[in-house]
Amino acid sequence: MPNRREFLNTLMRGGILAALGLLSVSLVLRSRDKNSCSNGFACSSCGKSQGCSLPAALEARQTVWQLDPSKCIQCGRCATNCVMTPSAVKCTHAYAMCGYCDLCGGYLKPGTKTLDTAAEHQLCPTNALKRKFIEDPFFEYTVDEQLCIGCGKCVKGCSAFGNGSLQLQVRHDRCKNCNECSIARSCPSQAFSRVPANKPSLLKSFGKESLEEAGRKGELNA
Amino acid sequence: MRRIKSIPAKGLKTPAGTTARTFILTFFSVLFSTAMAVRRFPKPEFETNYIQPSTQIPVPRAELLAYLDVFVLLVSLSIVTWLILKKRSRLWVFAMSVFSLAYFGFYREGCVCSIGAIQNVSLALFDNTFVLPLSVLLFFILPLVFTAFFGRTFCAAVCPFGAMQDFFAFKPQALSSRLNTVLGILPYLYLGLAVLFAATGTDFIICRYDPFVGIFRFNASFGMFLFSGILLLSGVFIARPYCRFLCPYGVLLNWTSRFSRRHLTITPKECIQCRLCEHSCPYDAIEVPVTSKSPESRPVRVRKMMILTVFVPFIVLVFGYAGSRMQDTLAGVDSRVKLAKEVMALSGKQDAGYGMQDAGYKMQDDSYEIKAYKASGKTESQVYSEASAVVKKFYIGGWLFGGFIGLAIALMIGGRIMPVYRTDYVTSKGRCFSCLRCVDYCPVKS
Amino acid sequence: MKQKIFIITGLVLLVGVIAIMLADLFSSKKADKANPYDYKMGELRKTDITCNGYIEQLTIKPALEEIHAVACGSGDRIYVAGKNGLEIYQVNGKPDGNFRFEGVASCMALDKKGRIFIGMQDHVEVFDQLGKPCNKWKSISTESLLTCIALTDSYVYLADAGKKIVYRYDMNGRLINRIGEKDPQKNVPGFIIPSPYFDLGIGKKGELWVANTGRHSLEQFSSDGALNSAWGEASMSADGFCGCCNPSHFAFLSDGSFVTSEKGIERVKIYSPQGKYVCMVAPPSAFVEGTKGLDLAVDSKDRIIVLDPEKKQVRIFVKK
Repeated sequence: MPNRREFLNTLMRGGILAALGLLSVSLVLRSRDKNSCSNGFACSSCGKSQGCSLPAALEARQTVWQLDPSKCIQCGRCATNCVMTPSAVKCTHAYAMCGYCDLCGGYLKPGTKTLDTAAEHQLCPTNALKRKFIEDPFFEYTVDEQLCIGCGKCVKGCSAFGNGSLQLQVRHDRCKNCNECSIARSCPSQAFSRVPANKPSLLKSFGKESLEEAGRKGELNA
Repeated sequence: MRRIKSIPAKGLKTPAGTTARTFILTFFSVLFSTAMAVRRFPKPEFETNYIQPSTQIPVPRAELLAYLDVFVLLVSLSIVTWLILKKRSRLWVFAMSVFSLAYFGFYREGCVCSIGAIQNVSLALFDNTFVLPLSVLLFFILPLVFTAFFGRTFCAAVCPFGAMQDFFAFKPQALSSRLNTVLGILPYLYLGLAVLFAATGTDFIICRYDPFVGIFRFNASFGMFLFSGILLLSGVFIARPYCRFLCPYGVLLNWTSRFSRRHLTITPKECIQCRLCEHSCPYDAIEVPVTSKSPESRPVRVRKMMILTVFVPFIVLVFGYAGSRMQDTLAGVDSRVKLAKEVMALSGKQDAGYGMQDAGYKMQDDSYEIKAYKASGKTESQVYSEASAVVKKFYIGGWLFGGFIGLAIALMIGGRIMPVYRTDYVTSKGRCFSCLRCVDYCPVKS
Repeated sequence: MKQKIFIITGLVLLVGVIAIMLADLFSSKKADKANPYDYKMGELRKTDITCNGYIEQLTIKPALEEIHAVACGSGDRIYVAGKNGLEIYQVNGKPDGNFRFEGVASCMALDKKGRIFIGMQDHVEVFDQLGKPCNKWKSISTESLLTCIALTDSYVYLADAGKKIVYRYDMNGRLINRIGEKDPQKNVPGFIIPSPYFDLGIGKKGELWVANTGRHSLEQFSSDGALNSAWGEASMSADGFCGCCNPSHFAFLSDGSFVTSEKGIERVKIYSPQGKYVCMVAPPSAFVEGTKGLDLAVDSKDRIIVLDPEKKQVRIFVKK
């Protein structure tokens, strides 16, 4: 009787281990099945489903969370729903897209007539966006990351009135890379996705697509 | 590559990976690395010697560190297993649980953990675009493999959740065996729901209701702290409540551990029936001897067995059907289904056709979900078909989920009506966390 | 007894935790909390519509994949150009021909003979009414981004948002001169084009008008590049041009009034020939939020033709 029980035990254990082995092997082999992207990623970081430009040597098996600014509607939940306080999402300035406008839609409160840097004229609730005169009529805008809370207010102003050079991005020096991103869960536009860790940005830029695209839309997806 | 100052996060210690993290890529290196003929809308032509700053993008935690975590997991599992089976030292196991809490809990901030990895594995099985990093797979597999050989040594002192609750078991009360069994169904429900929601790509509910991650990070909303607080408080009287009555990974460990090759024994040699260990287990995982005078006769046992073989499929089917009937409730958790409901409500309100002359021009305040839907350019029917595809998945998922719960209940009932016979005090291989408290009570030393 | 109290307390707390989880998971409450950081764009988009003297008379839905340019030809036929093709519609919106070409048309103009000049990023292509290529000019520069083309009887004016300059060509593609370069001596401030919208037009007297969007003004140049006059001011309210850089497009009514379109706060408005705000043609609520590139054309009956690239429609507005 004890012998029979022992045998059954071994059999069951063997079964469990075999099942685990089979599971791992199938999952490992499956994720090497690169039919959509050379990395097996379902990311939108390159904007196309084929011909991912990542070299195979850099193949990343680790993923991080990132938000696609072209899907973002600036609902403000990045500021409120992150497990971090302040949020790991912050405004990132793609200088290459900036028009250096005097009347910056992301910097000034709408309707502000006098163009000065008085705090009450600033759109940013924490005055994290800094303005610096370059030359007539151009101004440089920089984001003070210490102050930025990732609310996206400036992003909305910039994308509505300007080129959309101010964009929200997950800052990976702050992001905890939770298994389930709590902002992603509440993001109304499904802008969050897991992207390859070696290509952690989804900043849109004028550079990635041709000029004609820029001319048509005035803003681009990277 | 340039360096930027790392931002001192409020109340957070800086992780050791900081050096790797503070290296940043400039936007340009990312932009031009693809060596495409980059053409852009030109920036203003500055006459002064203004140099455009480059956009800085912090690099995530180095990939190698994920494998360091796996390595630490492997080493801690090995050490803890050795401590439990060979050294049989409660003190050392306790020390290891402090380490695990510090490393996997406070340093790694609870992510990724073996419990949560269930969801990654489930989603990866059903969605072949989902990337399952090898490190996550190993976090899922390794504790199970160890358990198959040595029992739930992972729970003893490697899992930070377990360690956390173990410290709070100040006044553990023995629960009746019936209560233990009934509450023991909860982890099956949790596992079933977690796999169902993960596999359908709905949500990772284990992470969503992770009770301790806020504590590990010293950073959570008041509601989350309250949630953790209530659970820990209940753990003062009901030891390790999460492990015993919620943990979905515990279900897998429980069943694997039942067939483990070498499980912890209370006594290293022969039980002398001193009954000293009888009340030593805070988790009600010690099986007392059952030496009924007249064991059931063979025909009785055979009859019981036959009833069970009919009863099990029946209850599985009944629960499976009930599960499938719950498809709408279950699918209601999914954001795609929620959106479809909202869109439906919206289109019901709106009259067809758009007349500019309508004095309307009302700027109605849509929810952000609706705003996002409008901005996405999706059609109404696209949203509906997406949602109905999800609901369909939940119909099948509901059958499987219900069936699984039915099976768990059937086996629970079976376990209670089938006779047991044992002469010694033994640990319940399924439920024992190998914490070694009982060992300290055993007067027999090796 | 004490033990029982302990157990019950523990159980109640545990059940509480589970109840919280289930309630949160299955509750149908909306996640939508008020956004404390909302940029109240809606407030800006609310416009006084009492002076709205126009209604949408006709809507055309071109079949092109993307639409970017609209123009009005002989017999008030409407030409719509976009990605890889062009479509022609009769005055009542009935299709009246189409042809395909390679490339994306960003702007378009028609000459007296009915030839179609299409600007594509960095060069101009000329087609006849049936789509037969007549001429293909060479690329201006790799940085060029043509955003507008306008014709007089003998010249072609091109607005290049990339180089931030206006060119005058002859009909055969020979460059005659450049207009609008910064020249303090000639009192020309230069074009500030922060975003890729840069329009120009020929007024009723044959004069050249250019939208200097970064300065929120319309500037009138002589053909040799002298700045004659300018008007326009920045304002979120209806009488001015909103945001960093507007108007994105403009056109002329028969009396010389300006029809302008803006991005940011999407609106189409009319200004008098002197630059005084007259009325709203289409308020922001007529457009999808975020619409950019509302190209304009006006036909002989002063119907205002608005190209809505977001809705992929050509929308025709007439006076009430």
